[in-house]
Amino acid sequence: MARYAMVTDLTKCVGCQACTAACNSEWDVPAGHARTRVLSTGAVGVFPNLRSAFYVAQCNHCDDPPCVQPCPSGATFQSADGIVKIDKELCIGCGFCVTACPYDARYLNPATSKVDKCDFCAARLERGLQPACVTTCTAHAKYFGNLEDPSSEVYRLVYARGAQRIESDDVKVGPNVYYLGARGEPDLVAETFPPRQPRMPSAGQWWERAFKPLAFLMVGATFLGQAVAFFTQLRKGEGQFDD
Amino acid sequence: MSSNISRRDWFRATAAAAAAAETARATQTPGQRGGKRALQVATNCEMCFWRCGVLAKVQEGKVTRIEGNPQHPLTQGRLCARGNAGQFTLYDPDRLKRPQMRVGERGEGRFRDVSWEEALDWLAARLQELKQKYGPESVAFFPHGVASTFFATLMKAYGTPNSAEPAFAQCRGPREVGYALTFGRGLGSPEPLDLDNAKVIVLIGSHLGENVFTSQITQFAEGLARGAKLIVVDPRFSTAATKADWWLPIRPGTDIALLLAWMHVLLNENLEDKEYLARYATGLDSLREHVRPFTPEWASKETELPPALIRETARAMGAAKPAVLVHPGRHVTWYGDDTQRARAMAILTALLGAYGQKGGILLPTPFPRGGFRLPPFPVSKRGRADGAGEKYPLASEEQGVTNGLVEATLTGEPYPVKGWIVYGQNVLESIPQRERTLAAIRQLELMVVVDILPVEQTLFADLVLPEATYLERYDAPHIVETAARPFLAVRQPAVAPLYDTRPGWWIARELARRLGLEAWFPWKNPDEHLARILEPSGVRLEEAKARGAVAFEGRPYIDLRKPEDGPLFPTESGRIELFSKTLQELGHDPLPVYRPPAGPPPGWLRLLYGRAPVHSFARTENNALLSGLMEENAAWISAGAARAFGLRDGDRAVIENQDGARSLPVVIRTTPGIRNDCLYMVHGFGQQAPGLSRANGRGASDTGLITRVAVDPLMGGTGMRVNFVRPVPAEGAES
Repeated sequence: MARYAMVTDLTKCVGCQACTAACNSEWDVPAGHARTRVLSTGAVGVFPNLRSAFYVAQCNHCDDPPCVQPCPSGATFQSADGIVKIDKELCIGCGFCVTACPYDARYLNPATSKVDKCDFCAARLERGLQPACVTTCTAHAKYFGNLEDPSSEVYRLVYARGAQRIESDDVKVGPNVYYLGARGEPDLVAETFPPRQPRMPSAGQWWERAFKPLAFLMVGATFLGQAVAFFTQLRKGEGQFDD
Repeated sequence: MSSNISRRDWFRATAAAAAAAETARATQTPGQRGGKRALQVATNCEMCFWRCGVLAKVQEGKVTRIEGNPQHPLTQGRLCARGNAGQFTLYDPDRLKRPQMRVGERGEGRFRDVSWEEALDWLAARLQELKQKYGPESVAFFPHGVASTFFATLMKAYGTPNSAEPAFAQCRGPREVGYALTFGRGLGSPEPLDLDNAKVIVLIGSHLGENVFTSQITQFAEGLARGAKLIVVDPRFSTAATKADWWLPIRPGTDIALLLAWMHVLLNENLEDKEYLARYATGLDSLREHVRPFTPEWASKETELPPALIRETARAMGAAKPAVLVHPGRHVTWYGDDTQRARAMAILTALLGAYGQKGGILLPTPFPRGGFRLPPFPVSKRGRADGAGEKYPLASEEQGVTNGLVEATLTGEPYPVKGWIVYGQNVLESIPQRERTLAAIRQLELMVVVDILPVEQTLFADLVLPEATYLERYDAPHIVETAARPFLAVRQPAVAPLYDTRPGWWIARELARRLGLEAWFPWKNPDEHLARILEPSGVRLEEAKARGAVAFEGRPYIDLRKPEDGPLFPTESGRIELFSKTLQELGHDPLPVYRPPAGPPPGWLRLLYGRAPVHSFARTENNALLSGLMEENAAWISAGAARAFGLRDGDRAVIENQDGARSLPVVIRTTPGIRNDCLYMVHGFGQQAPGLSRANGRGASDTGLITRVAVDPLMGGTGMRVNFVRPVPAEGAES
């Protein structure tokens, strides 16, 4: 079994955005959006004693992904290898997963009206290729592999070199994108860009954005199944999160 | 002997190539774009001049994706944002689509479409006319890079020596001259730097990371990962500075003071590489005497850096020698004393024994190239118009002095310059003092622009010739002798030219035919030209085209244990010239001398400019993908400076310079990461070209604010960091 993971070495990363460009090109991401973003903490401190780090942000393919449960159509799911995927056929573009993601890793593609995000380039993996961002990274700062394979580079970087997860005190959902940094870059990133509490949709939003479109789209048995799912999820959603 | 090794190496490489081709075929399974079989064309990138190896994926006649070519010896499959976005330039709807001839006034932008036949007949007639009226030297050529090889041949055959590209007088010219004076040869491009093996890397104003050349970034990151210590000298907390062990936020313009103090510490504390210097250098005693007074305490007053920091960094270099890479920089036309600063950097490199040593500067290795025997070019009796070799005694006659040609056009001295042919260069953005450039253009009898996009200068052209992009054309091969392994990279089309565009080689040859200069174009097609170049290497054309690049073993290091085969340092003395007799004979400082720069008056900031990793010059701002990553620039100032100007982070302001030149409104970014006396912006924005739907009017142009330059007397370079600016809140600016 595999558990795919990515490690980004922030000591090497120069913030050149080759990863973003490769990803945008590979996946036809419209301008202004990205599946992989490069953010900067900016200079922190008092001149001339400053620190700064880049943050290559993408879907973390969390162990406990908060985006899966709020999806009313079942489009968002986690495959056995840990990759959180979106079945574009099923996605109704309600955007609940977008607000649920603590890392803001998802966006609603205006061209397709479907939600999109990093899937570790699953289609490339099937062809025996590495994710586009890893292949192009000018600084060789990105590593991808199977975290359950002790001979893999990511295994070594996570378990021997101490690559870190970006987590906050209240959000620990088991991200599988890790960060290395010889100068405390991951800590600076976690301070600057802490994952936020997942936001769950209100009942009104459910009605407008999920139920209505689903009602239009679904027929017969499909409709019934989804309606059951909807009510189950609604009950669970309200019980767990007070929005 | 060496060619045997090369041949063997080639066969090994070919076997690997065949295996890789098999893999490539195997991976050409239906992709995500509709299940059509894809074709991959190996070529090299032209989104910047680094020319990384790329594989262009073509599906149904369209380039759908560009990835790095893992077989390229230098870039090894890595590609920056621009390289990844190449097809968005190819399919930019704003492209120049067919030849156009001016019908309105210059600058008005009114043109009529013409056929290539009409355009080239007209141009050939005009060129003949200018030749008869004023002589062939009256036509000046403004090229950029290897893509212009065939055009350069045409211009030389036509009889003009007046060719100048900004790569020299607006960029790396001072460095080439400074290092050539010291080591006997310039550095060239790509820079031969052993960054990945360095133990200490020194960046003086080089903002690697924001300035992205793929393989240089790869090697820089690799060096850091291997534990290299990093010294960054920059008034701004650049990306590189964020990774530095020592950041030296120097007072702008005082670098020579710092360099002299570093030399002082090295020589004073016996940290120089004595064996290396004894064997290879001359002038050490004069240098020792020269730098004696320049203590870190002295330099501290000039640079505003603590003496302890100067001492500590010098000692770090001394301890790591010879594996110290003092990065020579690339765009180094800053203050007009740039050749002397480059000299100081070259001398520092020599003191550390780092030239030709692991972790330092690599020696070039010749690439075995062939070619057609061309008739000799006509030699002009009138000499050059740009001052190269005369007014600017050490300027390159190959690369020329762009600003010298502007000057000659304006003054008619030393003789009239009446026609400009601009090819792949953007003279209004690359040459400072754009009002002078515009005035010169207005005086011309002939202005021709060969370009792919309707950049501002096309508005001033009599004839606009739309070129095919690098993905649609052959160019002369990219031959690199300054890498650890010398190589040749192929430029070949992935798709046929769109619209009514033509490749540069075709335009040049068609013009040559009309001008009776066919003898300089003896090849049937670009393949035949390339095959002839490849001949001595033993590499077959088909193989080179399949792989995209071919490499040979290099000899980048001096073997200190062995006697040399030839002169290592082709200077006059055959040694590294710490003391330069050449400069002494020219009446210039034979050892670098520090002269304090004029600082900004109270209430003004020094204008600094640089690059962003997602854009090249003013060339890529209209690219849909790249514009999406960065659609305009911002002006960085310190929070203190912002307060003084009544500005807050995120405000919009117009930037005004000492001569009243004003930028378009730009976002103010306040940061603790810049000195209080500087304002920084990324170059390439604020373009005034209505035909560029994404780039037009976005952000501020630094070029527009560079109305003053400090000209380097040795080589004509335009020092551009001598302008002072102040941000004016945007409301006030509109009044």
